[in-house]
Amino acid sequence: MTTPVAPPQPATNQSQMNPLPPSVFTLPQTAQLEALYTIIRSKDTSRGDFLFYSDRIIRLLVEEGLNHLPVVKKVVETPTGATYQGVGFEGKICGVSILRAGEAMEAGLREVCRSVRIGKILIQRDEETALPKLFYSKFPQDIASRYVLLLDPMLATGGSAMKAVEVLIEHGVPEDRIIFINLISSPEGLRTFCTKYPQLKVITGWIDLGLNDKAYIIPGLGDFGERRYCE
Amino acid sequence: MLKMFTSPRPELGQAKKNTVLVSHGRPPWYGEDGHRISDSYVIGIAGGSGSGKTHVARQIVKALGSIPSVVILSQDSFYKKHTPEQLVLAHASAFDFDHPDSIDMPLFAECLSQLKSCQQANIPVYSFKTHQREDEGRYLYGATIIITEGIMALQDPGLRELYDLKLFVQCDSDLMLARRLKRDVAERGRTVNGILEQYLRYVKPAYDNFVLPSQRHADIIVPGSNNAVAIDIISTHIRRQLQERSNSFRPKMAMPHLFPSISGKTVQDLNLTVLPQTPQLQGIFTILRSRTTSRQDFIFFVDRLSTVVMEHALRYLPFAPYTVTTPLELPFTGKVMDAKYVCGVSILRSGGALERGFRRVLHDVPMGSLLVQSNDHDGEPLLLHVMLPVCLRDRRTSGDAYVFLLDAQIGTGAAAFMAVRILLDHGVKPEHIIFVTFLVAKGGGISVLRRAFPQIKIVTAGVDDIMEEGWLDGLEEGEGRQVWAMMPGFGQMGDRYYL
Repeated sequence: MTTPVAPPQPATNQSQMNPLPPSVFTLPQTAQLEALYTIIRSKDTSRGDFLFYSDRIIRLLVEEGLNHLPVVKKVVETPTGATYQGVGFEGKICGVSILRAGEAMEAGLREVCRSVRIGKILIQRDEETALPKLFYSKFPQDIASRYVLLLDPMLATGGSAMKAVEVLIEHGVPEDRIIFINLISSPEGLRTFCTKYPQLKVITGWIDLGLNDKAYIIPGLGDFGERRYCE
Repeated sequence: MLKMFTSPRPELGQAKKNTVLVSHGRPPWYGEDGHRISDSYVIGIAGGSGSGKTHVARQIVKALGSIPSVVILSQDSFYKKHTPEQLVLAHASAFDFDHPDSIDMPLFAECLSQLKSCQQANIPVYSFKTHQREDEGRYLYGATIIITEGIMALQDPGLRELYDLKLFVQCDSDLMLARRLKRDVAERGRTVNGILEQYLRYVKPAYDNFVLPSQRHADIIVPGSNNAVAIDIISTHIRRQLQERSNSFRPKMAMPHLFPSISGKTVQDLNLTVLPQTPQLQGIFTILRSRTTSRQDFIFFVDRLSTVVMEHALRYLPFAPYTVTTPLELPFTGKVMDAKYVCGVSILRSGGALERGFRRVLHDVPMGSLLVQSNDHDGEPLLLHVMLPVCLRDRRTSGDAYVFLLDAQIGTGAAAFMAVRILLDHGVKPEHIIFVTFLVAKGGGISVLRRAFPQIKIVTAGVDDIMEEGWLDGLEEGEGRQVWAMMPGFGQMGDRYYL
């Protein structure tokens, strides 16, 4: 009588990395998601649209990230008087954004996790050593007992993300309690990052072709923070 | 009390022309198979200018009293578009508006036939000031009774075929002239000489040659004055005809709420698109289902869930390849949404709970609404208000439109059924309708909905098994309103979200 549900159109751009490291999770690669990325990648996209559509992707990423948190069985009574065998959220969380592009993901995070605590890290390239250096960090006091959603929109070489994880571990957060969320990754960056922190889950929306000689992700979307805040 | 599908509210008995008037809501006009069970009832009223056609039409509307919905369609709307030469004549009062050729009969018949078959119509608007048809038409939908009035209403065989009842208002020529003089001087600022000249040159010959002879097509001749008895007889006849129709169709009417089956159909049988039951989704459902959840939490998690389910539903829009240049001056071939028109329609009140999520994913598309309420004594759905996006009002665009139809749950399916029928009436393709909801009861009206409309897509966050019969809070059994509740469900979504 009925036909099976047609699957949504798939994305034509397949992942640039096959197989993915086991700790990496992407969003379902649908044409719909690809259309969102097409909008934010275009240099002609207005700031308003860039904000709106990058927020949509960020919400999807955060929703996916939260699915890696534990839940416990929970029974509730419904308004109709029935009992329902459900689940309850377990464990406290907090967000940590890598300044300054990571801050752009905070609004999306708070739309999904109301009044979540958010720590900040500022990491910049040390001009003398050319290595990432911690300039500033501010975390909730009990961060060691929380699951951490680490926010940075672009994973290029992975230098600053790895530095941020190092700082979090120094503050007592176990590696396997950190979930790193980004919009676009480079295959090189992902490989380096996952080799160094194999226990840490990475949620990425899209894996791009690679890096150019200036270590920018290609085809990429330019400088996320710049487009979000300054252009 | 009469209420219109479009504002503003008219005076009772002074029924405004070309506007759909509704009294207590429109009951289902379709059967369990989703098809229309009866056409609208069409009455044609002809008669000379000033004979009192409009008065007769309004008196009938008034005498019918409690009628689902009615529209009085004026022939004046269908004057042809004039050429520049005709326009000059018209402004010099030298154009023959009383000849049948001045009326666009094919368009008139097309609009009437659309309304009769329960589709929307966009009737032209004619301005007597500029003597020209205006560019924008007037959208009409949902009349159970259509009254057409005009001097040539019985002239055209194409029109005559559409009438269920044909009336001719008979009036003495001197009385008609007297009324015309009075009206044109007072309302149209014309001179007595001008009116008389026009009368002798056009009005009188047209009446003698075309209007009066058309009375032989009439079923009933109504006197143009002192006609209270005639109107009483006519409205009694119409009421009886409508009653007979309603009686003969009632058993076929779509009342899925009367047949909830416990026989659990599977999600596959019902062709439902159910969101992946992730831990987060289950957690959100647990919060929404709990009776002890605070209002604040309830609203927050409804908004979060509606965003998730809308994101999922959007995958079912069509996409086409599209290449852009990134800020690094590199090409990226991705996708672009390939739908000419996209819009939302929420079924009030509880469909409103999905609007926040809808806006978070589609911020720049129009959003319409339908108010469907169930009738207190038997739970039959009644259509109270229709406000559709512009792209759906016109059949030339509605065929290209994708519509997200929003409602919090599909329980009895009665409101969903009516809403889908309304969209199909407007020319929306069934495969372009994406129904988005939080919860579907497998044992509820969904099977009837699915059987009638196999092609629509139904995206739901969760699925419940059964519906149980119950009574509205705080009322003794047998006294209150019977309701079907989804089990385990999350209670009355609209109340919990809004009250």
